Amino acid sequence: MTTARDTIVDALDIESFVLCESEKDAKELVGKLMQSLGLSRFVIVSLDFNGPGAHFRVRAYMNKPGENYTWLKE
Amino acid sequence: MKILLAPLDPVHDAGLKLIKRKLEALGYQCVLLPPDITVEEIGEAAVREKVDMIFVGRTVGYNVEQLFRRVRHVLTAQGIFGKVRVAIGGMAVTDELAKNLGFEAGYGPHTTIEEIHALIERNPELAQHITHPVKHKPQFPFPHDNTVKDSTTQKYLDQIVDGILDWTSNKTSPGVVRARITESQLQEVKGSVESYTALPFTRDYLAQCDEAVVDFFQKNICPPSVRQITQKEADAYNRRIDIARKNFHPRALQHGRKKPLVFVQYGTGCPMMDGMHIKVAESWGADGVLHFDPAWGARTEGLLDGFLANVEDGTPVTYANLSLIKHSLDAATLWTVRAHRGLNTPEIAVLAGFLGADMTKINIGYGSICGGTDPARLAVDGTEAIRIAARYHMPFDIPTNEELAGVPPHKAFAGMLVMAQLGRRLNARPILKPLLCHGPYIMVHELMEQNYVDYNFAKIRALQTLADFPIWPGEPIGFMTHTEEKEQSATTTSLHVALCATLGLDAVTTASTDEAFSHGPITSAGRVGSLRSIEEAFRFFGQTEIAPSAKANDWTEELIVGINRTLKAVAEAPSFVEALYQGILGNKEDGVYPGRAGRNSVVAARTSTRAAAFKAPLDAVPKVSALGK
Repeated sequence: MTTARDTIVDALDIESFVLCESEKDAKELVGKLMQSLGLSRFVIVSLDFNGPGAHFRVRAYMNKPGENYTWLKE
Repeated sequence: MKILLAPLDPVHDAGLKLIKRKLEALGYQCVLLPPDITVEEIGEAAVREKVDMIFVGRTVGYNVEQLFRRVRHVLTAQGIFGKVRVAIGGMAVTDELAKNLGFEAGYGPHTTIEEIHALIERNPELAQHITHPVKHKPQFPFPHDNTVKDSTTQKYLDQIVDGILDWTSNKTSPGVVRARITESQLQEVKGSVESYTALPFTRDYLAQCDEAVVDFFQKNICPPSVRQITQKEADAYNRRIDIARKNFHPRALQHGRKKPLVFVQYGTGCPMMDGMHIKVAESWGADGVLHFDPAWGARTEGLLDGFLANVEDGTPVTYANLSLIKHSLDAATLWTVRAHRGLNTPEIAVLAGFLGADMTKINIGYGSICGGTDPARLAVDGTEAIRIAARYHMPFDIPTNEELAGVPPHKAFAGMLVMAQLGRRLNARPILKPLLCHGPYIMVHELMEQNYVDYNFAKIRALQTLADFPIWPGEPIGFMTHTEEKEQSATTTSLHVALCATLGLDAVTTASTDEAFSHGPITSAGRVGSLRSIEEAFRFFGQTEIAPSAKANDWTEELIVGINRTLKAVAEAPSFVEALYQGILGNKEDGVYPGRAGRNSVVAARTSTRAAAFKAPLDAVPKVSALGK
């Protein structure tokens, strides 16, 4: 193991609420957020827009099945 | 021993009241001080009551360290600290904090009375079952009569089963031949994974395989999404499993109930990722796991071999992969290997049997009209697989996921009962696996518009009225009630578990919170979320029951009539296989149709040229390495 990130079995989920005016805005904001965090391999798991903004959960994959897992690094 | 219990909160002394009641039940003499006391008054009471030990409780978390420093200071000044044993507890108290402050021990909100008892007696063994719990593998399935209770149902089932046994009696298939070759080889190496993977593959076996499998063995060409796992990876993986095993503290989810047991299905594509997910699931209370293989594996003649990872859904069934997963399991975890729906059904049952799997999964009807396999082929292979399951003492479950494709429950259940009766006739132990779902038929007919309770209740009651077999809803429960939102997903799963507990069912297969998420692999955290929710549902309902409305009784009767009507039609068909081709157990109008994989591959047992190859002299073909370099 070299970093804390390497110990994640499969994926890192981030859940929060963004203030925005549409679902489309929310998706763009979530994408920008993940890029800013250096988590480019992401997918939005759920996103629910209403009223002031959107409740979302976005997933950044660290290890997908069949890959060379970071948690098996010596 | 006399114990003083002293609350340092203005009013929150519920924890100490509970401890007092439980310690008194254990025979201790306890003195509980009232709330709103000073630290000095605690010391004075200890002297006055001549106690042997003091527990000071502080529910509120803020300022806790400074407060307990003062407790020690005052008790020391009063000449008590050091003479009388003192422990502290509360929401923000840890054992580490207490010991840093000089107290004997500290307890947080999840401390059990057994742990307090162990401290008082200075005997850790008193809390051994709490601090070092041991989970034993249950004898599963739980006892049932394993009989059909309804005489009409019994009559039709016997006719149908007689017909199946007669129809399959003189037939064989490449799947059956391969299963016998594999079983023979495994017997030769006494089940050793190393020896089996080192064996050369015979032309007899390859003669029964599709080109992709032949290319794998002869040219070392893996299917596009598959790669070999290296020795270095396998070694590192086994070290991770050892660490997980060392720190494992099993949980029981059921809150005192014996059942339903909770199963989770795995099949991420990679046996190492599966193994890690299994360790997570075991640690959060799962009682059993089910192996799911990739769809292409079911439609390809022949199995690959060695340690293989697939980057898509479904973990390739190989003897080495299954052995790696078996090695990862806790001794208490029940293990099912799905065999039921494809061209390798008997061979997978052999592998599962040799590795000591607790159960397998076989359903001729589902595999034929939903799984893509030709009905004639799966009738032969499924019957053989049941015989193998019986020989290896593996109960087999009978999934009815036909409902997901639109087949009405009465047809799916009729097929399931045929399999159960066939299993009994072959001395196997069948388990009914109805699907508790919001499936297409139910949606179209608006059977769950008001609630998810009544119709599910009716489905189970109909089965329980007709027969007494173990019932284990899957696969998973609540199918098509989940959304991608994790709280909703965990809630619907846990409420379906609670319903199954009310119905007295034996087990459930549960989804992770990623059940409805289709844009990537499911995650270990999703498994935790679902299992925690299930644990809370068991806690919430305890031994109470969910009551259906009167509508459930009407639907139960309708289902019973429908099941028997379907069985009558199957019994009157020229054969069970013909009934599957005719769509009696599900047709195109419902949304299903007979599979084509393996069509025309069934032959007479003694005249098959392919099957005859089985008896030809062995001609070895070098096998690729089990592990990649």
